[in-house]
Amino acid sequence: MSDFLKGTYTVDKEIVDETAKATIAKDEFKKKALNSIGGSMVFVEREKYVWDGDEEGK
Amino acid sequence: MAKILFINPVVREEDVPRHIPYGIALLAAIARDDGHQVQVYDANAWRKGFDVVRQVLAADQWDVVAIGGLTTTYNFIKEVCRLAGEHAKDSLLIAGGGFLTSMPREIMSWIPEIDLGVIGEAFVTFPDVLKKIDKGDLDWSKTLGVVHRNDKGNIIVNTERPNINNLDTIPWPAWEFFPLEDIYFKNSSSLFSEEAYYAKRRIDINGSYGCNLICKYCWHLGTTGDMVVRPDPAGNNDVAFTYGRNIRYHSPDYIIEMVKQLKAEFNIDYVNFLDENLMTMDVYSKRTWLKELCEKWIEAGLQPDCRRLGVPFDEVENNGVFWSGTSHASLHRPETLKMMYQAGCTHLVYGLESFDKKILKNLGKGSTPDRNETSVAVCMASGIIPIPNIIIGFPEESFGSVRATIKSLLKLGIHAKPHFATAYPGSEWYYRYKDSIAAQYDGNLEKYVLDLGDATKITATISHKFSCMDLLGLQEIVAQRDLRLLDIAEKHWGQSDETIVATATPQISHNIIQDKTKTPLQK
Repeated sequence: MSDFLKGTYTVDKEIVDETAKATIAKDEFKKKALNSIGGSMVFVEREKYVWDGDEEGK
Repeated sequence: MAKILFINPVVREEDVPRHIPYGIALLAAIARDDGHQVQVYDANAWRKGFDVVRQVLAADQWDVVAIGGLTTTYNFIKEVCRLAGEHAKDSLLIAGGGFLTSMPREIMSWIPEIDLGVIGEAFVTFPDVLKKIDKGDLDWSKTLGVVHRNDKGNIIVNTERPNINNLDTIPWPAWEFFPLEDIYFKNSSSLFSEEAYYAKRRIDINGSYGCNLICKYCWHLGTTGDMVVRPDPAGNNDVAFTYGRNIRYHSPDYIIEMVKQLKAEFNIDYVNFLDENLMTMDVYSKRTWLKELCEKWIEAGLQPDCRRLGVPFDEVENNGVFWSGTSHASLHRPETLKMMYQAGCTHLVYGLESFDKKILKNLGKGSTPDRNETSVAVCMASGIIPIPNIIIGFPEESFGSVRATIKSLLKLGIHAKPHFATAYPGSEWYYRYKDSIAAQYDGNLEKYVLDLGDATKITATISHKFSCMDLLGLQEIVAQRDLRLLDIAEKHWGQSDETIVATATPQISHNIIQDKTKTPLQK
């Protein structure tokens, strides 16, 4: 039984944190990296990388 | 009896969860004591994302889903309300707290899923609402202190609820409904003082409601007598915030018994007072409140051993409870500070804000540059560490005012990266600059509210002279305390004052009443 809900009685339904550990690690890294931005410390958001090269380069 | 789910929204996501939500913990205790079935999901503590929120909303047949928080939680609250409309659609969605009280009409229109809003102090209104729900009575037309929609869908703000008279009638917060061991105690440490840094089991408490100062950036959540309901220019009831106050504080006995209980039950080693300002409360009590509190703290055996023995804190094993809070540069006294240090006070936050005479005068803070400067030494002489807060971007900010602040920071040895002057909804600044703020967000005030954080990030500018670009540069110059850079910037500015278009201009607002009109007090 998860501990997410606390109160005067026990809720029957189980609440599961299905967030993949990989996502947690990715989020944690991103958070720490963003907090360190400055000088040579930069961060590139991989999921927002949409440019796929010049037409001419294809 | 009603089955209630409280949700504590995520706040200051860039930091770890540090503070048990005091208002929700109090309302949960009141509901529990009235016999209701209560569950709390502390989303801010768990930080598990919206999938878990969905599961929580669907975990039971809730009669009420209750959510509330500061304006800076608006982003999260809006999404939770949308999810509640999908996953708990048979529940009554009740909102409350600062985000709603500051602008109930706007919030009810921006979040259509909210069924009922509790405005201002909820200690009587919320249990009153729960009683009506138990009776199946959902007619809110005569319930004081709420905002709701009528049969036509129009938003109706009811007359304000009187503030309670005796704070000691409120139960202690329901600490047990929050993840103390899993989350909060692990985040007990803070960098304000050595004792705070080594804190292992900190809990926040609140000893008083109210502050009689009228700082233009501040507001009091509608809980300190500062809020009334009056017709707006179109004749619809709306909230208005005033200079009136119902100053109230818990008796020292109430506070001491609560801390003793926290020590006995959770073995706490540190308490942070959330009070708006301990010193304004002490002045209101004619200097009796803090004296009695300190004396009783020591009598109760809560004084840390190092303070009893007069030795550095790390030379002995301290069995007492250290504490901290807020102070005021003009209202503190050496003898009071000394007593507080003796009882275990480690640091006090001082909102010095600026060292410019004109800015301080217009701010309504009741301080001067000289008092601000002196306050640091006075506080330090007691042994308590002062934590001075600085702001940049006041409406009257100028190169001269920034220079005055940097000079004082250098003189006093203060290192600070200033907050940006931010007009939070509910404050006089907000209502005075509402149109200018909206103009900076494409005319969309909700975008501004969604963007608000803890004032370390620039949002809307209310400085008449400086733009967001100027203020970002000036913030860094203040942080570096570099008068050379400031001189160069001013020289570059040259004659710009003659041609510049002001970023913000003040306006008249029906939401601000500049007199001592106040919320009625319960008889």
